[in-house]
Amino acid sequence: MHSSLSNIRVAGIAVTTGSIVRDFIADGLAAGVERTALERTAQTIGLRERRVAAPGVTALDLCADASERLLAEMGLDATSIDAVIFVTQTPDHSQPNNASLLHGRLGLSKSAPAYDLSLGCSGWVYGLHQAALLCAHGGAARVLLCAGDTLSRLTNPGDRSTDPLFGDAGSATLVEKTGRAAPFHFVLGADGSGAQAIIVKQGGARQPGGPLTEKIDEDGNRRHDANLAMNGADVFSFTLREVPTSVQSVLRHAGFSPESLDALVLHQANRFMLSTLAKKIGVDEDRTPMGVVEKYGNQSSASIPCALVDGLGDRLTTGSLKIAGCGYGVGLSWGAFAGEFGPLAVAPILPFPR
Amino acid sequence: MNRLEMLNALKADIDILARADEATVLGALPGWDSLAILLVVSHCEHVHDLEVRGPQIRACHTVADLLDLIKSLS
Repeated sequence: MHSSLSNIRVAGIAVTTGSIVRDFIADGLAAGVERTALERTAQTIGLRERRVAAPGVTALDLCADASERLLAEMGLDATSIDAVIFVTQTPDHSQPNNASLLHGRLGLSKSAPAYDLSLGCSGWVYGLHQAALLCAHGGAARVLLCAGDTLSRLTNPGDRSTDPLFGDAGSATLVEKTGRAAPFHFVLGADGSGAQAIIVKQGGARQPGGPLTEKIDEDGNRRHDANLAMNGADVFSFTLREVPTSVQSVLRHAGFSPESLDALVLHQANRFMLSTLAKKIGVDEDRTPMGVVEKYGNQSSASIPCALVDGLGDRLTTGSLKIAGCGYGVGLSWGAFAGEFGPLAVAPILPFPR
Repeated sequence: MNRLEMLNALKADIDILARADEATVLGALPGWDSLAILLVVSHCEHVHDLEVRGPQIRACHTVADLLDLIKSLS
């Protein structure tokens, strides 16, 4: 689905990470993996450090911290927000949703609706589209989009195909209605036939509970049904199939060429994936931020805002950049975007608690 | 691309296959793991413009089987 929305702008971004630093090599050695194998993986995939949430800290806490810092950075009162959207796969409770909890915590107006979107690595783009819709057509002037997860809680320490990958983070993005901005363009899609490729089987209504029996897969990875399971090769194939065509499509709608982009900001899955995608899309690596995953890990729906702040924050505070990007992951789902970002407020990436 | 060229491209692209021949048993190679399968997926897409799925690669016993798979999808 293609969608173009006018008269909106991204006014500010903040990202809060987990506070515990995990080292890929040290963790692997502790798990009994040979150093040469670890170094081979680290070099090929691009894994070094990640930041995970401290015990008891949730995606809601991380996003609340990011929101409070962003509002302070912009000098805004929480009551000026017309709606809040929370993108997460790791909410505090099955009911109520995280957006309502954040609404109460920040003290938003009763006239401000609050709802969640259940999406992972593609979710920030879906949330941005939703926030832009509310501003362009829904009567909102200012929408707070929060996107974050604590996926490190869902992986099994004995599963080397998922456990070393994920960092925990929460982001806050403020979207505003404005009369003078170029349109933002979106291409959103899904392939539910691949839904089993990334899944946590237990914890929903279909399989609410039951014994957690660990199984060992053909690579020796251990996990049970409440753990995140991911078929890396199938996810990689899906990404190579869908992401380049979606980005090329959104670029056509925006009238941008790969050469004209200031930056290509993709979901920060791993350096190998990013490098392969940049090559296929036709944007050189210098214009494709890739540093997030080696510092913070794969941050799910917070990774694109984190890449914007980490890789482009200084330039975004002072000028305007022509940016395209894409989120992709669980669902399977993807969302590509293209538009002019900046100047905007950027709060520094900080851990929580500090 | 003939079979020898396909083999040489694989060996050049994937380090753990650098010394392999057609008779090499994939499962016996140190490092033949989920990362290696991902590299083969990437190689097939990049070099041959083919979409290969993980289970198809896992079903290959030897390098010859892998070449047969690529040939069959070409």
